Amino acid sequence: MKNLRIGFIPLIDAAIPIAALECGFAEREGLEISLVRETSWANIRDKLVHGLFDASHMLAPLAVATSLGIGNAGVPLAVPFGLNANGNCITLASRLYRALEEVLGHPPQDPRQAARALKRIIDRRKLSGEPPITFGVVFPFSVHAIIVRHWLRLGGIDPYNDVQFQVVPPPFMVTNLSEGVIEGCCVGEPWNSRAVESGVGSIVVFGAEIARSAPDKVLALRDETVSAQGDAIHRLLKTYSQAARWCQDGDNHANLAHMLAQPQYLNVAPKTVMNALSGTLAINRTATRAMTDFLSFEGDNINRPDPRKARWLYAEIATGLRGTLAEDQAQKAASVFRPDIFDAATGNNSLPESADPIGLKFGPAFDSGDLQAYVDALTQVPPASDGR
Amino acid sequence: MTDQASILIIDVNHARAAIIQDGLREAGHVHVRWLNETSNLLRHIADIDPDVIIIDLESPNRDVLEQMFQVSRLVKRPVAMFVDQSDATAMQDAMVAGVSAYVVDGLRKDRVKHILDMCILRFNVFSRLQDELHEAKTALADRKVIERAKGILMAAKSLSEQEAYVLMRKAAMDQKRRLAEIARAIVTAEGMLK
Repeated sequence: MKNLRIGFIPLIDAAIPIAALECGFAEREGLEISLVRETSWANIRDKLVHGLFDASHMLAPLAVATSLGIGNAGVPLAVPFGLNANGNCITLASRLYRALEEVLGHPPQDPRQAARALKRIIDRRKLSGEPPITFGVVFPFSVHAIIVRHWLRLGGIDPYNDVQFQVVPPPFMVTNLSEGVIEGCCVGEPWNSRAVESGVGSIVVFGAEIARSAPDKVLALRDETVSAQGDAIHRLLKTYSQAARWCQDGDNHANLAHMLAQPQYLNVAPKTVMNALSGTLAINRTATRAMTDFLSFEGDNINRPDPRKARWLYAEIATGLRGTLAEDQAQKAASVFRPDIFDAATGNNSLPESADPIGLKFGPAFDSGDLQAYVDALTQVPPASDGR
Repeated sequence: MTDQASILIIDVNHARAAIIQDGLREAGHVHVRWLNETSNLLRHIADIDPDVIIIDLESPNRDVLEQMFQVSRLVKRPVAMFVDQSDATAMQDAMVAGVSAYVVDGLRKDRVKHILDMCILRFNVFSRLQDELHEAKTALADRKVIERAKGILMAAKSLSEQEAYVLMRKAAMDQKRRLAEIARAIVTAEGMLK
């Protein structure tokens, strides 16, 4: 059988591809796999599109954007497996966080309170003619950017006019925060913890507090690979299913942390990985916060790609680009997520579909059948709405 | 736009950037600049306002450039990644060489192709030089350790230089290992037995 070349970015959510190889699941399925570490999502996309990779760890919105030809030439991709939900944080530069505390008179207790306080700071800065706040996100098409926009809206902040966004690669996030190029960011671990440890920033929101099951990273491959190498892909997904269960099991987290920390993968201290796996993070110099579903690898339709999630991603991408929605594009987006391949590979077709594929905790309800209504409700800058 | 395209090279590797700049200048491109910033990259690009951006694939900053595809307050002119659909192997060659190109709207494709081809060539020259340097360094280190091991064997077993060499070579062949590995083992053992 042909050797499968799979690209990944050194992040904790590359756990399933790494564990599938390291735990021997792939070997037992007779698969030969080379994991190739990359430095940028643009490299991942281009190497996948041009056939240098057979499959890859990828930002879920990037898989949709690539298939729709947004930001590139447009090559149809297939997503047969979701690799994780959540795991990101919104971190503010220390100075801005202190200003937030001053406005409130205490540390923010929940995302809405924090966003409302931020709104008052933004209004004050507008009046005094100070430059707008810039947020760093990891890629134009990322759940990170979507989460920040949702959070800002909670406080009545217009994400398109009141703040600016800038793409900052995760390894440069802390430097950009400390130099004041950005004043906030949304990024995965270990980068938030790095900002907290070095006194540069404080974590203000966990991504899971905004959306419970937003797709973060997925396994993506070219459409043509599905037909050309169907058997190998089926075996691969079987091993990923095993690896997902293994990664989710808390008893394996110490092993997983050591596995991911190795130089050829994340090249960090195992303790740093452990923080994110356990969902217990120092959010500033004095406080720690724990959340059980901070980062999930398995369960609740995380692995089985739900086309409704792809429709949500399309609606969010289109809104982010301030474009209009088109139903044919939405359908094209939905067809990128392939539960049929997942089911055929894992024999697991009896999963009950959750009523709400995204699990948004605030703001308008998401109805995959009426994207326009969702986007309309979303883009009305709210007088901060009630949580659901 | 003047007749000459202005080219910006983003590469953290000084030596490689110099090789590429030279290549482009020799090919008649006079407006070539080099940037190795890791923060506030878009601002720097906006100030320089190039027609073509060449970036190495090792740089995480490629993702920053992706932002320029969208209408951005920071960038004056629309930017796109250079993709030559008619020539898929050329794009593969670029990726294997480790380089990617971005162009502003309106630039003629054949001119960009020429620039990119030059960069691919120079990127490959640079990797070859690096490989050769690495090989030369390894060969030198190997020779040194083999000489030392020979000396150790000659002293310990009262052998001639030729006999010591033959002994090591036989061990290497028997164990299917490189001569330098056998030599390194001898040197290490000697250090421990001292």
